[in-house]
Amino acid sequence: MSSPLLEIEGLSGSFRSPNGALTPVLHDVSFAVPRGTVTAIVGETGSGKSLTALSILGIQPPTFQRSAGRILFDGRDLLTLKPEEMRGIRGRRISIVFQDARAALNPVFTVGRQLADVHRLHHGGSASRAMKRTIEALRAVSIPEPERRARQYPHEFSGGMAQRAMIALAALVCEPELLILDEPTTGLDVTIQAAIMELIGDLVRERGLTACLITHDLGVVAETCDRVVVMNAGRVVETGTTEAIFTRPRQDYTRRLLAASQLGETPEMIEA
Amino acid sequence: MIRLILQRLLWALPVALGVVTITFITARLFGGDPTELFAPPEATDELRAQIRERLGLADPMWMQYLRYLADVARFDFGISFSTNQAVSTDLTERLPATLELGLTGLGLGALIGIPLGVFAAVKRERVPDFLVRGFTLAGMALPQFWIGLVLIWIFFVTLGWFPGPVGRLPIEVRPPEPITGFMLIDLALLGDWSSWRLALWQLVLPAVTLAIASMAPIARVTRASMVEALQSDYIRTAVAMGHGERVLWFRYALRNALLPVITLIGVLAGNVFGGAVLLESIFGWPGLGQYALQAIEGSDFAALQGFVIYAALLYVITFLLVDVLYIVIDPRMRHA
Amino acid sequence: MTRAPLAWSMRIGLCILGAYVALALISLVWTPYDPLSPGVGDSFLPPSVEFPLGTDRLGSDVLSRLMAGTQYNLGIALVAVILALVIGSALGVVAGYYGGATDIAISRSVEIFQAFPGVLFAMLVVKAVGPGVLNIILVLSFIGIPDYARLARAEVQSRRNWPYAEAARMVGNRSWQVAFRHLLPNSMGPLLAFTSINAAFVSLVTASLGFLGLGLNPNTPEWGNMIARGQDGVMTGEWWVSFFPGLAILGMTGAFYLLGDALADLADPRRRR
Repeated sequence: MSSPLLEIEGLSGSFRSPNGALTPVLHDVSFAVPRGTVTAIVGETGSGKSLTALSILGIQPPTFQRSAGRILFDGRDLLTLKPEEMRGIRGRRISIVFQDARAALNPVFTVGRQLADVHRLHHGGSASRAMKRTIEALRAVSIPEPERRARQYPHEFSGGMAQRAMIALAALVCEPELLILDEPTTGLDVTIQAAIMELIGDLVRERGLTACLITHDLGVVAETCDRVVVMNAGRVVETGTTEAIFTRPRQDYTRRLLAASQLGETPEMIEA
Repeated sequence: MIRLILQRLLWALPVALGVVTITFITARLFGGDPTELFAPPEATDELRAQIRERLGLADPMWMQYLRYLADVARFDFGISFSTNQAVSTDLTERLPATLELGLTGLGLGALIGIPLGVFAAVKRERVPDFLVRGFTLAGMALPQFWIGLVLIWIFFVTLGWFPGPVGRLPIEVRPPEPITGFMLIDLALLGDWSSWRLALWQLVLPAVTLAIASMAPIARVTRASMVEALQSDYIRTAVAMGHGERVLWFRYALRNALLPVITLIGVLAGNVFGGAVLLESIFGWPGLGQYALQAIEGSDFAALQGFVIYAALLYVITFLLVDVLYIVIDPRMRHA
Repeated sequence: MTRAPLAWSMRIGLCILGAYVALALISLVWTPYDPLSPGVGDSFLPPSVEFPLGTDRLGSDVLSRLMAGTQYNLGIALVAVILALVIGSALGVVAGYYGGATDIAISRSVEIFQAFPGVLFAMLVVKAVGPGVLNIILVLSFIGIPDYARLARAEVQSRRNWPYAEAARMVGNRSWQVAFRHLLPNSMGPLLAFTSINAAFVSLVTASLGFLGLGLNPNTPEWGNMIARGQDGVMTGEWWVSFFPGLAILGMTGAFYLLGDALADLADPRRRR
């Protein structure tokens, strides 16, 4: 078996407050994302899961200070790369879907233009060809009337539509080896959430993507993900296959998390 | 979009009426008694009364006010005591000089100030940022007229690189018959390139003075709003997708950061067009500001009223342009 | 992302202003020469040991006049902004708290006054009412009032329905007490920051009026007056008469800006750079 596509080893760090005080937020975080799998990182708000994900791309908040650890991508430590090397990785080999897609898209450029800009950046070619591919990508994520939609601005998109466009950008326009999804359904209506997760599941299966899904919602994990990493208060609590985590959770925290989502076996049921 | 602009125009009407009214009140309260300008010092009370009658000053205040409103609506501000011309003619003659200086100076200021602000924002909290901030602080803290005087001292008196502060053309050159009123355009149209160069040279020092004074606040506002834009989610997305710094700064962040800068440039332009009094007086520039100063010094009632209304009008037009630019730059405004 | 520059700009601004206050106080009891009397030296003497900043056309000592000028420029700026702060924020609080017709009346008037070229308005009124320290102060604070009113109105309006205002009403405070004793103090941060920026503006306008000969008696050692007196000298190479008062204005105005920036950062943590 080949080595995992992504391995995070002992990542630790703190937030530096304006007066210089350090608040530790990540403690020896380690996990791996094997090739061709979808790995979920699950935890509550403040568990450090998003911070870990952003650190992979080097886009963590500037107040975060890493004290130890390595982030191995395809065998290379991303943390030792020069800025220009890192830029060659971003978008081209690793890309990301953010939480609030409407805020994550630039308000003063059309959605099509933004996607086409990225397409040209990674694949070159003419502007008209990039726009054609962009429209194909929008169509592939089931955005109706993609030609018209491409000429619209983010504020003219609903949250769900914007998230579809964001997914088209990160997964189809970029064609990355690793796709990070940072709470892609948070803040959306429940029915839209399901549709977006279905879209993500389809894309992952059809294209055999390696993906890393950050979420606080265990409900979306069961159907889509192969492996689960449970995080709490900046530490990795438990790692395992989805099946193992849902049916044989070893840690108390995992059980409580499952109970809170009304999934798997609740502690009461176990006791009974 | 046209509807939006019409709405703004309608909104400007009550403001314009307010301006006109306050001008009337201020002029009556503080403008001095125009009778004195016509009456010889030894005039009898009877003669003074006659003069007041002829000037319409004997009528009740509300009648004077209504007559005044009617005049203003026809763009008739009366005759200037000092030039013996219709005030509206005077103002229209002088407007191009002010616009020529103002547009050149502000244009230069924006051309330098915006990149400077971007530069400071991306080098935030580092040496270049502190240098730019110090420099712009000084630019804002210095009186414009002093900057002008120092430039004259260095570049005219000491180095002799640029001509003295005698207006739009050297004294010995006859100004051309105005076509557009813009000296550089008129001379270019006439093909008089030697005078054109002289006129350009005359423009340099006052325009640079204005550029320095406007560059400072432009750079500061650009910096502040760029800093905010650079911390936004959409810039994080652009970074994550692998865009290079130049694209991030100048394409994705700057366009968002430009809105407050445009408002500021609008305010600066409103101030300049509303009479860069001191700037024009330092450089002998025959524009609206100098006209206003002469009107104030000579208690030229009609000229002053006309000028203030003209200035307020230019202010309103400037802001209308700012609004239109907003709509062009920010698509969200189009649906407001 | 450290707080250091914030603290620094505050500290530097306060130090410079302190120095100006000290200079103004010293000049009340001592200046090297009599600032008002001409002919303490020859006309247009360049800076030397005897006259560190030179003499002007009338042979007055530039340094002495510069020192004495601090009283005028600093004093006018401080009094004018405090006056505008008090009146403007009172109007703004009333408009913001009571809303309705009061609000519309105050807000509309503010808008109209803002369409006026402010500096020009000052020139016009000063010319009409005549020169004098008090007149300048009144006019300059009058121009500032609309801005304070608008700012205070926005601040109070945003807080009018906050729980603590509700609580203050419930325990039986009268509405004016809620507005002025509970809401206004919480809005002071942005208002003070603006006051400092406004002080910078006021000192520039004071100098401008002086330069045009509209402000004070031409012999008054106000800095704008002094620059005007040296204007002819600049054309003939006697730069020092106009040059040094400009530096004095730069220091004072710059200090007000620094202080205003620091206060604005304090008032709005999001603005922290």
